[in-house]
Amino acid sequence: MKKMIRPRRELLLAVLALLLVFLIVCPVVSIFAKAVIYDGRLDLYRTWQTLSQSENAQMIANSLLLGVLVVLLSTVIAAPLAYLFSRTKFAKYRVFDIIFMIPFMTPPYIASMGWILFMQKKGLLQQLIPAAAGSENVFFTLGGLVMVMSLHVFPFMLTILKNAMLNIPSSLEEAGAVFGAGFGARLRKVFLPLLSGNYAIGALLVFVKTLSEYGTPATLGKRIGFEVFTTEIHRHATVAPIDFGGSAALSSVLVGICLCMWFLQNYITTRKSYNLVSGKGSRRVEQKLSHSATAAAWGYIVLVLAVAVGIPYFSVISTSLINLRGYGLTPGNFTLAHYAELFTENTKGISALKNSIFLAVTSATICAVLGTLLVLAVRGSRSRLRKVVEAIGLLPEMLPGIVLVIGIMLFWNQIYHVLPLYNTMGIMVLAYVVLFLPYTVQYVTSSFTQISDSLIAAGRVFGGKPLYILRHITLPLISPGIATGWMMTFIIAFRELVTASLIAPPNTLVVSTYIMREFEQGSVSVGMAMAVLCVLFTTTALLALNAAIDRSSKRE
Amino acid sequence: MNCKKMMTSLTAAALCVSLAACGSTGAASGAAASSESTAAESAATSEAAPAESAAETTGSGKVTVYMPSPAGLADKLAEGFTAKTGIEVEQFQGTTGEILARLEAEQANPVADVVILASWSDGLSMKADGQLESYTPTNADKIVDGWIDADNELFGYSASAVGVIYNTTVFPTMDADWSELGNAEYKDQLAIPDPEKSGACKDFVAGYVTNNGWTDFEAMAANGMKVPGANKAALEAVTTGEVGALVAGVDYNAYSSKAKGEPIDIYYPAGGTVVNPRPAMILKTAPNMDNAKAFVDYLFSDEAQELVAKAYLLPGRSDVKCDSRSNLEDIPQIKPDWEKMMAEASEDSAKVNELCSANNG
Repeated sequence: MKKMIRPRRELLLAVLALLLVFLIVCPVVSIFAKAVIYDGRLDLYRTWQTLSQSENAQMIANSLLLGVLVVLLSTVIAAPLAYLFSRTKFAKYRVFDIIFMIPFMTPPYIASMGWILFMQKKGLLQQLIPAAAGSENVFFTLGGLVMVMSLHVFPFMLTILKNAMLNIPSSLEEAGAVFGAGFGARLRKVFLPLLSGNYAIGALLVFVKTLSEYGTPATLGKRIGFEVFTTEIHRHATVAPIDFGGSAALSSVLVGICLCMWFLQNYITTRKSYNLVSGKGSRRVEQKLSHSATAAAWGYIVLVLAVAVGIPYFSVISTSLINLRGYGLTPGNFTLAHYAELFTENTKGISALKNSIFLAVTSATICAVLGTLLVLAVRGSRSRLRKVVEAIGLLPEMLPGIVLVIGIMLFWNQIYHVLPLYNTMGIMVLAYVVLFLPYTVQYVTSSFTQISDSLIAAGRVFGGKPLYILRHITLPLISPGIATGWMMTFIIAFRELVTASLIAPPNTLVVSTYIMREFEQGSVSVGMAMAVLCVLFTTTALLALNAAIDRSSKRE
Repeated sequence: MNCKKMMTSLTAAALCVSLAACGSTGAASGAAASSESTAAESAATSEAAPAESAAETTGSGKVTVYMPSPAGLADKLAEGFTAKTGIEVEQFQGTTGEILARLEAEQANPVADVVILASWSDGLSMKADGQLESYTPTNADKIVDGWIDADNELFGYSASAVGVIYNTTVFPTMDADWSELGNAEYKDQLAIPDPEKSGACKDFVAGYVTNNGWTDFEAMAANGMKVPGANKAALEAVTTGEVGALVAGVDYNAYSSKAKGEPIDIYYPAGGTVVNPRPAMILKTAPNMDNAKAFVDYLFSDEAQELVAKAYLLPGRSDVKCDSRSNLEDIPQIKPDWEKMMAEASEDSAKVNELCSANNG
C-alpha cells in the first residue's frame, strides 16, 4: 500500500517542480541575468556597485522598520477581532468575514489617496471640522504611514488567526480552568502557545507584504520623505535609463531578507505545531460575554470599521460625487455624472470591468487548484526536493511584483516564437497565477498544520484508497483554507495595478489601469467612481458566494 | 526507497536542464535577439504581401502605438487614423516609465511600431541608443521650428509647457515671476511636481537653473515648497486647495480642469518656461514599418492637429492655432539647450527634492 503511494506522490511533486521552474524560476532567471551579465559577460562588479550604494542601507533599514511596525500594529488590530469572531457569539455574524475584507479589497493607492484627501491641509476633515486644522502635521509622519499600511494588511492576520482559533477545542481551555488557571493564565499557557505556529505564518505574510508593497509608499511614503526599498526598485525599472539589472540586484536583498524570515517562521511553525484537528470530537463553547463586554466588543468592531473602511471610503465616495473638486464639500456641488460617465462616455469602463472579473475568477481558480496540489505534494513527500518546491512556490511573494512581472515579460517575449502567449490575455492570467500562488499555499499550509496524522492513518486502517482519503478526509478539512485562498486571490487579482499596467496586451484595460488613466488625465472623480463600483461589486459577489456555500453545506 | 531516490535524482536532473535552458535564453539575449528580429521582420513582410493587394493600406493591417496620457486624445487619434486608413491601431497607454519598461522588456521580439513620449529629452535618449528610424513625414515643412530633430527621427506632433497653476479661491489673480515666488505672500502655499517623476518638470528645472542658477529654487524651498508627487498628485494639491500655487505644473491638464469649471488658472511667468515637444518616434524594429510611417503622417494631418489643440496641447504645426489656450507665440520661453539639460537634469531633479525635503510632512 505504502509503496504504491510514495512514488505517485513523488511523481506529482516532480511534475509540479517542473511546472514551477517553468512558470517562476525561468522568469526570475531572465531578469536576474540582467543583473550580473553586461555585454554578454558575467560582471559581478557592477552588481556590487549597485548594491553597495550607501543610500541603500538607509532604505533597507526604513523597509525593515516599516515591516516590523506594521506587523505589530496589525496584530494589535486583528487579534481581538479574531478572538471575537471565533470564540464568542460574534462568530455567527458571518457577514463580518467579508466586511473586514474591504480594506484589503481597496487598492493601496486608492486607500492612501483617500487618507491624504481626508487629512491634508484644507482636506475633508478640516472642511467638516475646522478645528482640526493642524492635524495634518500628526498624520503626515511615519506613524500615519504605518497606520494606513496596517489598516490595509490586517485582514491577512485576522483570517489566519481566526481560522486557527476556530480549531482550538474548548476542552483544552476548560482543562486549564479545572486546574485553577485564571483567564490570563489560560491565555498565556494554553491559547497563545497553541496559536504561535499560525501567528508566525500570519506575521510572515504581513511582513513580506509590507516589504514588497509599492502603492502606499509611493503615494504617502513619498509625501513624508520616507523612502523604502521597493520605491527604489521601481525607480530602476521605470526611470530612464531603464536598468532592470539594477532593480533585480536590489530585489535580491529583499528576497534574502524574506527567505531568512521564512526559515524563522518554518522553525517556529514546526516546533509549535499542534495537531488540534484529530479524530476526537472537538467542540467549541462560546465564551460568554457580559453586557458591558458585548458593548465594548461592538464598540471595538465599529471603531475598526470606521477607521479602516469609513475614513478612506468617505473620501473616495465624496470625491466620486463632487462636481467641482475645488469647492469641496459644499451644498449643490454634488453630482452623479461621474458614475454615468463610466457607462456612457465609451465602452472602456464596462470592458475593463469584464476583463477584471474574468482575470480574477480564472486566476483565483487556477491558483486554488495548483496551490492545493502543491501543498499536498509537499506534505506527502519525504524527498529533499520538497523544501525547494515550497520555497519556489513562495518566491513570488518575496519579490516586488514589478521584478517578477518584468521577468515574465522578458521570458515570454523571448520564447514568443515557440509559445505565442505574450501580448494575449493568456499572459495576464499566467502572470496573476504566478504572482498570487503564495496566498493559496500559505492559507492551505496554515490549515494543514493543525490536522493530525492520525486522521489519515484512520482512513488507511479502514482501507481507504489514497484518493478516497483525499476526498473524504483531507479536502474537507483544508477546504476553509482553500476557500480563503481563493477569495484572497480573487480580491487581489481584481484590483492589481502594477502587473496590469505593464503586461496588459494593447487595447486591454482592467479596472485598475482604467482608474489610473482617468487620474492621469485629471478626471479623478471618474476614477473614484470606478473604485466605488469595484468595491461594491467585489463585496456583493463575495457575500453571495458565501451565502451559497453556507446553503449548500447546510443541505449536506 | 530505491524508487524514491531515483525520482529525486530524475527531478533534479530535469530541473538542471530546464534551468540551463532558460538561463541561456536570458543570457544570450543580445545574439538571439538580432537573429530573431530579422526572422520576425521577414515573416512580417511575407505576411504583408497579400494584405497589400487586398486593401489600399500596407503592412499587416495594424499598427502598434505606445502612447502616454491624456488617454482621451490617444483614443481619438487611434479612432481617426483607423477611420481614415482602415489600419487597426493597437494601443498601449501608460506613463513614460511604463512605456520605457515595456520597450526594454520586449527587446527580444519587438512589438511596438510607433512610440510617443511626453518629453523631448526622453525621446533624445532613445535616439542616442540608436533605436529610431529616420523619416520625413508629410507636412514636415509646417512643423514648428526645432520640433523635428536634424536627423528626422523625433517628430514633435504636440507640446506642453509648464507654468504656474494657481487656485483662484486662494489667489484671485497671480502673475509673479519665478524669482518672486520666494516672497512672503506665497509662504507655505507652493508645491512642485516631483521632477524625478515628471519629465516636463525635470526639463524645466534643468533649463531654468542652467540660465539662472539655483537662487530662485532655494528661495521657493525656503518658502515651504512641497513635493506632493508626480504631475497628477501635484495638480490634486492645488485643485483641492491644499496649496495655493503649483510651480512648474504641466499646462494641458490645468486647462482642461479650468474648462470644467474648477477654480484654477494658469499663467507663464515672464522669466520664461521650457516648451516641451512630445515626440512621436518610429522604431527601427517596427514590425509594421509602412503603417508606422502612415501613422506619423496622420499625426501631422489637419484632423489630428485639431484633436491635439482640442486636448489643450500645443499643436505641432505652426499653421494650426488653438483658441482655448495660450498659443506658442504668447508663451515666454527659455531657449532650451537639450544636450546640456539632459546631462544635468537628473542631478538637478535630485537637488530640488533635497531642497524641499524638509517641507514634506
